[in-house]
Amino acid sequence: MTEGLWSLIQAPWTLRPDTLVGATLLAVAAALLGEAFWRVLRWPRLLGYGIVGTVLALTGAGARGNETELRLAVDVALALLLFEAGARLNLRWLGRNPWLLASSVAEALLSAFAVYAVARAFEVDPRAAGALAVLTMCVSPAVVQRVVSECGAAGQVTERLFALSALNTLYAVFAMQLLIAGLRLTDPATWTEALGPTLFSFFGSILLGAALGSVVAAIARRLDLRNENSVVLLLGCVLLALVIAKTLQFSTLLVPLLAGLWLRNRSERPWVWPRHFGTAGGVLVLVLFVAVSSAWSVDVLLAAGGAAIALLAARFAAKGAAVVVFARPSGLSWRQAGCLAGALLPLSATAWVLALDFTQMHPSPGSALLPILLAMVAWMALLGPLAVLYGLHFAGELDVVTPRASK
Amino acid sequence: MTLETFAPSRAYTLGVELELQIVNSHDYDLTPGAADLLRLMKGYQLAADVKPEITSSMIELSTGVCERHVQVVDQLREVRDALVESAGRLDLRLAGGGTHSFQDWSQRRIFDTPRFHHVSQLYGYLSKQFTVFGQHVHIGCPGPDQALWLLHAMSRFVPHVIALSASSPFIQGYDTGFQSARLNSVNAFPLSGRAPFILTWDEFSVYFGKMARTGVVESMKDFYWDIRPKPEFGTIEVRVMDTPLSVERAAAIAVYLQCVARWLVTEKPFEPQEDDYLAYTYNRFQACRFGLDGEVVDPATAEHRVLRELIRETIKNVELQAIELHAERGLQLLLQALDAPDGSDAAWLRAVQAREQFLPEVVRQQCERFERG
Repeated sequence: MTEGLWSLIQAPWTLRPDTLVGATLLAVAAALLGEAFWRVLRWPRLLGYGIVGTVLALTGAGARGNETELRLAVDVALALLLFEAGARLNLRWLGRNPWLLASSVAEALLSAFAVYAVARAFEVDPRAAGALAVLTMCVSPAVVQRVVSECGAAGQVTERLFALSALNTLYAVFAMQLLIAGLRLTDPATWTEALGPTLFSFFGSILLGAALGSVVAAIARRLDLRNENSVVLLLGCVLLALVIAKTLQFSTLLVPLLAGLWLRNRSERPWVWPRHFGTAGGVLVLVLFVAVSSAWSVDVLLAAGGAAIALLAARFAAKGAAVVVFARPSGLSWRQAGCLAGALLPLSATAWVLALDFTQMHPSPGSALLPILLAMVAWMALLGPLAVLYGLHFAGELDVVTPRASK
Repeated sequence: MTLETFAPSRAYTLGVELELQIVNSHDYDLTPGAADLLRLMKGYQLAADVKPEITSSMIELSTGVCERHVQVVDQLREVRDALVESAGRLDLRLAGGGTHSFQDWSQRRIFDTPRFHHVSQLYGYLSKQFTVFGQHVHIGCPGPDQALWLLHAMSRFVPHVIALSASSPFIQGYDTGFQSARLNSVNAFPLSGRAPFILTWDEFSVYFGKMARTGVVESMKDFYWDIRPKPEFGTIEVRVMDTPLSVERAAAIAVYLQCVARWLVTEKPFEPQEDDYLAYTYNRFQACRFGLDGEVVDPATAEHRVLRELIRETIKNVELQAIELHAERGLQLLLQALDAPDGSDAAWLRAVQAREQFLPEVVRQQCERFERG
């Protein structure tokens, strides 16, 4: 009796990330540290979140990605960011500037080939290397958006960074769906039962994305989305779509991304809402970044850290080369192309979630892939945001827009 | 620094300058894109010229020396199409209009040249608030004295062209009630307003010398007058207009001024005098506030007239000049605008906002109107 009571009193106070008080203290620490970085160095607050995550990882208390509540927070935060990423991508631009599309396709393909080749050189299993190639195509739209909005960046490099990261995320998510389905369908033991669910999930994700985009458009026509109450409504819609996606086993990445894309491109009318859906979204984004940057462990880094560096270097070279080759025809100066190439470094939440989903469906190649990816994400936790920051800095695009919150 | 000598130019030749807004295609706020646009515009061989302006979200285009309406229209359309094509490659949009409807002036960045930084340091927030967009029209004059005579004779027509071009009802997200709120920003500058009533170039040089000695001005560029002489071009420059929403309207306003100038010089309907300026600022205010419905006063007769009627009457008066200068088409366009309910650009903008209730969407439609013509 007393023992039960004792554990009841003690349980919520245990200092672990998965208890309420632990999580709260972490959030406070991340927010404080982020603010300190911003005040002292003018670095994005994101870095503070990243350092809290890194400390967690070093102490062995990092996220593993299978915690139910944490995964929900991560999914929601990522959904908001991907929705925004999609809603920023103007497909008509690709029509008017085909060289931009060419550079996007080239950087994604080249990076996939380069990563695959280097992974194979490190004797990674071909299926795991393939998955790694696919999911490292994407440049974290989460990091890009966060850094851009915190530092008030605007200009051509900023716009292209948004466009390329939204596009390569779209490619990566699509390609991952195909890869997961492909691996199941080529296995004679599972293909008959896999075909139905695969098609259902694929087309269901697209339909649900379009539906969410239409609902948001309908709301935005009647209400001003800059109003706090409308934002809550918007947030509710995204959450609902996410819950439906999870229940029906749709892709939780594809649905919000396509919804944003649908909203932006179905009509030319502009939509304006507070970034990351205001305060509620901001908290979730903080949780997301702490979680992602804590997802590795010392063992993982010791085992796969070297390979991760080689893969990141190959990825950087491939993406950079594609951007530079297509710079002039697509209308960029050499300097801007260099800055853009540097800013295409971040690897974060989207890749992590993709890797987790892949591992869940295909545990054997997944277990070969996960440590390498986690090591890559670990290196990029702090380097990624700084690469974006300095890329935009050297392009002369920082502090153009005063962030609304700091006024 | 002394005043430059007046380089004579052919009478009634025209040059048109338009300051344009560069906006993004996402939320339609102003965006720094001038340097990128200028880089892409190097690939075009055009009769008109494209230049940077004080903030990096503004770009200025200017025609070469033109004689006829059709020339102005062709040059403006050609450079507009090239700009629109370049902007499309950068996912930027371009718009006319005297102000951006909802931009936040504190967020504007000063274009990176020494002169612009100097202006920015001197005028502080005024120079950022000066993110307004105007049309300037140069009219060629064969000699400096005729230029000064014409400058003062034209002052009566300043309210006309303010009303015809008015396209800045919104500032910082609010409806100002004005048809042209842009000129209120210009008025804040110490050397804005009317030029001193001096009719000979010799006297004007003396005046300039005195002003330069005070250190207040260094060149003619430091005067922000409504109409000012431009000695190196041999022109007078009318600077009160908002950038209209389309280049066609801009060309029509330019030839309206051209016809009036020729009418004034050839028929001499009146002699300019200092008393012309008695009601000048009042009339100017009426035009800014009420546009074509503004009531202006003739200081000589104390008669109050509605601008819409005065403009119609002027177009009748200059009929002969219009034929001589092949400007009928331009004036026809203005007559149509006088008759239409949303004939002024400001009225059109207000009508769009009344329908959409969303200023970013207003700016988007403004872009369509400019880009399509």
